[in-house]
Amino acid sequence: MLHEFTKGLLKENPIFIIMLGLCPALAVSTQVVNALGMGAGVIFVLLGSNIFVSLLKDFIPEKIRIPSYIVIIASFVTIVDLVMQAYAPSLSRNLGVFVQLIVVNCIILGRAEAFANKRSLAESILDALGMGIGFTLGLLLISLIREVLGAGTITLFAVGSFDGVIRIPWLSSFPARVIGLATGALMVMGYLKALFNWLETKKEQSRQRDAVRSGL
Amino acid sequence: MTYIGIIITFVFISNFILTQFLGLCPFIGVSRKMDSAVGMGFAVIFVMSMAALATWVIYHLILVPLSLEFLQTMTFILIIATLVQFVEMVIQKISPPLYKALGIYLPLITTNCAVMGIALIAVRSNYSALESFIAGFSAGVGFLLAILVMSSIREKLDTEWVPKPFRGIPIAFITAGLMALAFMAFDKALLKNLLG
Amino acid sequence: MKNILVSGGKLFIICAVAAVTLGGINAITEPAIKARKIQELNQALKALTPDAETSATEAVPDNPAIKAFYSVLKGGKTAGYILRIIGNGYSGEMKILARYERDGTIKSVKLMDNLETPGLGKKAEDPRYMEKFLRTGNRSRPVPVRKDMLQSAEADAITGATITFLGIARALAEGAQFVIEGEKKYAP
Repeated sequence: MLHEFTKGLLKENPIFIIMLGLCPALAVSTQVVNALGMGAGVIFVLLGSNIFVSLLKDFIPEKIRIPSYIVIIASFVTIVDLVMQAYAPSLSRNLGVFVQLIVVNCIILGRAEAFANKRSLAESILDALGMGIGFTLGLLLISLIREVLGAGTITLFAVGSFDGVIRIPWLSSFPARVIGLATGALMVMGYLKALFNWLETKKEQSRQRDAVRSGL
Repeated sequence: MTYIGIIITFVFISNFILTQFLGLCPFIGVSRKMDSAVGMGFAVIFVMSMAALATWVIYHLILVPLSLEFLQTMTFILIIATLVQFVEMVIQKISPPLYKALGIYLPLITTNCAVMGIALIAVRSNYSALESFIAGFSAGVGFLLAILVMSSIREKLDTEWVPKPFRGIPIAFITAGLMALAFMAFDKALLKNLLG
Repeated sequence: MKNILVSGGKLFIICAVAAVTLGGINAITEPAIKARKIQELNQALKALTPDAETSATEAVPDNPAIKAFYSVLKGGKTAGYILRIIGNGYSGEMKILARYERDGTIKSVKLMDNLETPGLGKKAEDPRYMEKFLRTGNRSRPVPVRKDMLQSAEADAITGATITFLGIARALAEGAQFVIEGEKKYAP
């Protein structure tokens, strides 16, 4: 059963393998702190919707399942939006309209429709956590590349006297600003996807070699 | 903002796909062939202009007077889902050929970030009803423009040699990145001519 | 028929439960959001007038750009004004708070809520961004509302965010005009 959790991390990573939820992934990946905030929001919504869809799977008739899922998802998105506005205002300002856009993030409706409405509560929770964390890790990777190369900084949460910004000595004086802009986001995504494809074929080849060897 | 300003902003300067990444999934998914790209583009224009107007009406005439603004996300997504269904039924009745052309793209549009995006942005920017409609229409035109250019590039790319790991989606993203770079030029050049 | 009623009823129950829950959560967060906004405004006012007091807010009706103003009081005398101005940016409205001297000279500027794209227009949130507007706005030095009115180093810095620059510049110029005209009208 642990497989339901680990599959989202790498093998079925929502961003790089299933390629869902890309709009927010690219838009908020300018700073690491935004990626973490967005990730937390998506994990919460995914968890909430998976739990409720799984619990209500016998109550919701087949015909109205999509509108019901949408209502459930939209409720959790609104909760995230309101709580963020009230208690994390600067994060809410940075993410802007993309918090509310979690509602059309295909990962969430996709997991409700393809997984949670057929599986047990425990499995659905593990699936949500795995997919949510996988999404966050993907976002983190993109934002790290973009912020380090594009601005020469790593922005985290401000704690006490530390303002939350790590400046990388040489890079922050000569950043490649274009990587922080829209162009950079699309390019970084393209190269990362190519890397994942390459790793996939590598693994496939070695598996075939192993098969041949064991056949001998 | 003037109407022309809104049109230029949403078609070129802050093109939804190339600067804000809204509607990226269909942009990458449906841009393989030019015919389907055009079909998708027109369906998006249609739904976006209707959605921007419909959400304005509901938001300003129902949610604000009742101070139910916190139900915004939920009502908007339900309006868009209903609207898409409705449009699908009407087109099917009125024009079967058009339905044949656009029909398969319409269900995909419900979860298109661009449609929800324009509805939310129009409200946040305090647009009037007409401004919202124009913003929705021009953002849709911007989407059509981007997906049209993209699909014609990808049709050519299909006949070229591309390193194996880059085939398909990766090269599509890199192409989109280069297009975004080109679209950055619109900012300065357009405004110099427009505003002196 | 019965099926439709059951489905419709169930969908209605889900919607009703969701709406009531959200209403409850909104009742908790709304005061917090409002308090936070007021606190932010007060902090911004404090930051703009470290050396003086501000009067209560006075709304400006029928002005598309200027929403409200505060008088800056120094030893009981009006030393200038703080204006709440709405400018048009890349993706909609930008709320600007600007302090003017009585002759319209801009003393300090702060960008409040805005919807600008992170990385592009967001640069304007950096306090140094506003330096090029400071000490302008009076008769001898107008607010730079075109790029060619800036020094070349400053002009380079706004590349890629011309609309944000124009939006802020025009809002500030309008504010300066408002201050100069207001002073004329009420001058003793």
